[in-house]
Amino acid sequence: MSIIKETIEDLKLKVELLLAKRKYSVDGPSHIVESAGKKGLRSGKVSELTAIAPLKPGGADRLRKIIELIKGDFGGAILVGTLHDMRFVFIDNDTRLLFCTTFDGDWDVYIEDFATKIPELMDLIFESVEGWPGIKDPSVKQYILDHQLTADAWFVAYPNLTVNDVLRNEKIVKGLYKTLDEAQDSSQH
Amino acid sequence: MSNLFQRIFNPSKVSLELDDIQALILRSRPVPYFGTNVLLHIDEPRAGKELIKKLIPLVTSAKNWHKAEEATATVAFTFEGLKALNLPEESLKSFPESFREGMAARAAKLHDVDENAPKHWQKPFGTGQVHIAINIIADTREKWEAKLREAEEELKKISGVKVLLKADFAATEEVKNVFGFRDGISNPEIEGSGVDEVPGYGRPIKAGEFILGYPGEAGTVGYYPQPDILGKNGSFLVFRKYHSKVHEFNRFLQKHAQTEDEQEYLAAKMFGRWRSGAPLTLAPRKDDAKLGADAERNNHFSYKDDQNGKTVPLSCHMRRMNPRDTKQAVISDVNLHRIIRKSVSYGGEPEKGITTDDGKERGLYFIAISAKAMDTVEFLQSQWANEGNFINHGDEKDPIIGLNQGKGVFTVPGDIRRRYNAIETFNIMQGGEYCFLPGLSALKWISEL
Repeated sequence: MSIIKETIEDLKLKVELLLAKRKYSVDGPSHIVESAGKKGLRSGKVSELTAIAPLKPGGADRLRKIIELIKGDFGGAILVGTLHDMRFVFIDNDTRLLFCTTFDGDWDVYIEDFATKIPELMDLIFESVEGWPGIKDPSVKQYILDHQLTADAWFVAYPNLTVNDVLRNEKIVKGLYKTLDEAQDSSQH
Repeated sequence: MSNLFQRIFNPSKVSLELDDIQALILRSRPVPYFGTNVLLHIDEPRAGKELIKKLIPLVTSAKNWHKAEEATATVAFTFEGLKALNLPEESLKSFPESFREGMAARAAKLHDVDENAPKHWQKPFGTGQVHIAINIIADTREKWEAKLREAEEELKKISGVKVLLKADFAATEEVKNVFGFRDGISNPEIEGSGVDEVPGYGRPIKAGEFILGYPGEAGTVGYYPQPDILGKNGSFLVFRKYHSKVHEFNRFLQKHAQTEDEQEYLAAKMFGRWRSGAPLTLAPRKDDAKLGADAERNNHFSYKDDQNGKTVPLSCHMRRMNPRDTKQAVISDVNLHRIIRKSVSYGGEPEKGITTDDGKERGLYFIAISAKAMDTVEFLQSQWANEGNFINHGDEKDPIIGLNQGKGVFTVPGDIRRRYNAIETFNIMQGGEYCFLPGLSALKWISEL
């Protein structure tokens, strides 16, 4: 009896979704998401990483202090070149850390680059979590995978543009508008 | 021998167990070279072990790598091969996942898709049949033939091991690939090998990046196959066979450049070097044969004053595969992605300037060695050869080895930037294998299991 009820509920949901979608027509790139490998999702060139890890006692306060010292400005992260966003959330009364990020391509192929290029920054932040082996430890990939959760749903507005593409396009458009403005000004004289 | 770079050996700088490491890793590729690749299948474990026992005396160690007077014989194994030799389960499990899966299964990571996909590969690559790979290389025909004969005689004595493929390769004194370009110029040096630093060539890289069981660039020793005797002093070798469409390359040059000089200039912009090996950095406008042949000068340069790529395009083959001090758009440590290349050409150069397929087999056996060769080649293929993001070039791929499929784009920065479209895949993947290159005591250990 319950099975039939569920099926009818499902059907109802499908019809409602179909009717809702009919009202909007969307152009542009495909927003289909696929698996990014062992865990995580990928949409075009962009991937997501969501992780939850237990915080060490005092770990949340330590991280808060770091965030306070940099006045909440993670601008230096632009150096990585592939990070679209990053988010740190203390949950469950400061006992666990929720970390979410969106980035271009794969993270695992660059993990050793982080270990030699920005080891202090990586460890400064993540030493607040329980069991962090250190960015240089060969088990760090597995540690991240062990704490990673794959998003159940995810949307990316521009899945075919990398961080570099967006920043470059911004510059190109600025230059183009400047040239067009200059052409307009000279034609008015 | 003017073009054979004399790498200076300094015994006080040796900290590696050279007599236990296979010679191929440290010896320079001979000039000229003659050689053969042999791929074997093991029908029964006992026969495989017997063969290894017989081959051990022929396998050359890296001791006295700077002399390299005799032929070099190398023996490597695929994961299927190690299984066929009945390695203990615990040992098999200790190999990296990529190696256990094998090259064909890693096609997506390697960007071996579409026309380069494993389903188009030549047999026996990617079938799981290849167990042992033997490489013999020497600087004279006589030495090569003698060593090959020795190996073949041992092979003949043993039943239960099949030869799947035997393929020769060679290059003349000018060591040109089939496109007519000198290759194999730039290779990283390993700290502890006893090599003396040469000014301008960068420091030797930490041994652990190339040889298992030593600390790498991050200062830590990575995982390596166990037990210790099996993994220590070993390395991994990536073998990839490419067929080169020289006629397509010529056709591309002739379509986009009028005079022969202009065609040569465009070709140099794509490779990053002129045919002689002279790098664009040091010879920006025309080839300089003397510079190209001078191994003490032809690799002595930096991109410090060429960050926009007006001299050496950011997207050219040479700069992509070793960006040196290029300011990159994605954080990465160039020393982590270096690989020791012992690639060799087969089939010879075609008739000069041909634009139609003469139907002959020619190309390159890409042979790359490092402690994490699978990771490195997967990185190079996916991030540097078939992507443009790390140099802020969008989707642009390597014009020489990228999977361009008639849709490739190549940007040449300049006072007026030029962009070439509709680039074909000039090098088609024909198959390959991930191999383990054990130390000599590991070979003995395997043979006595």
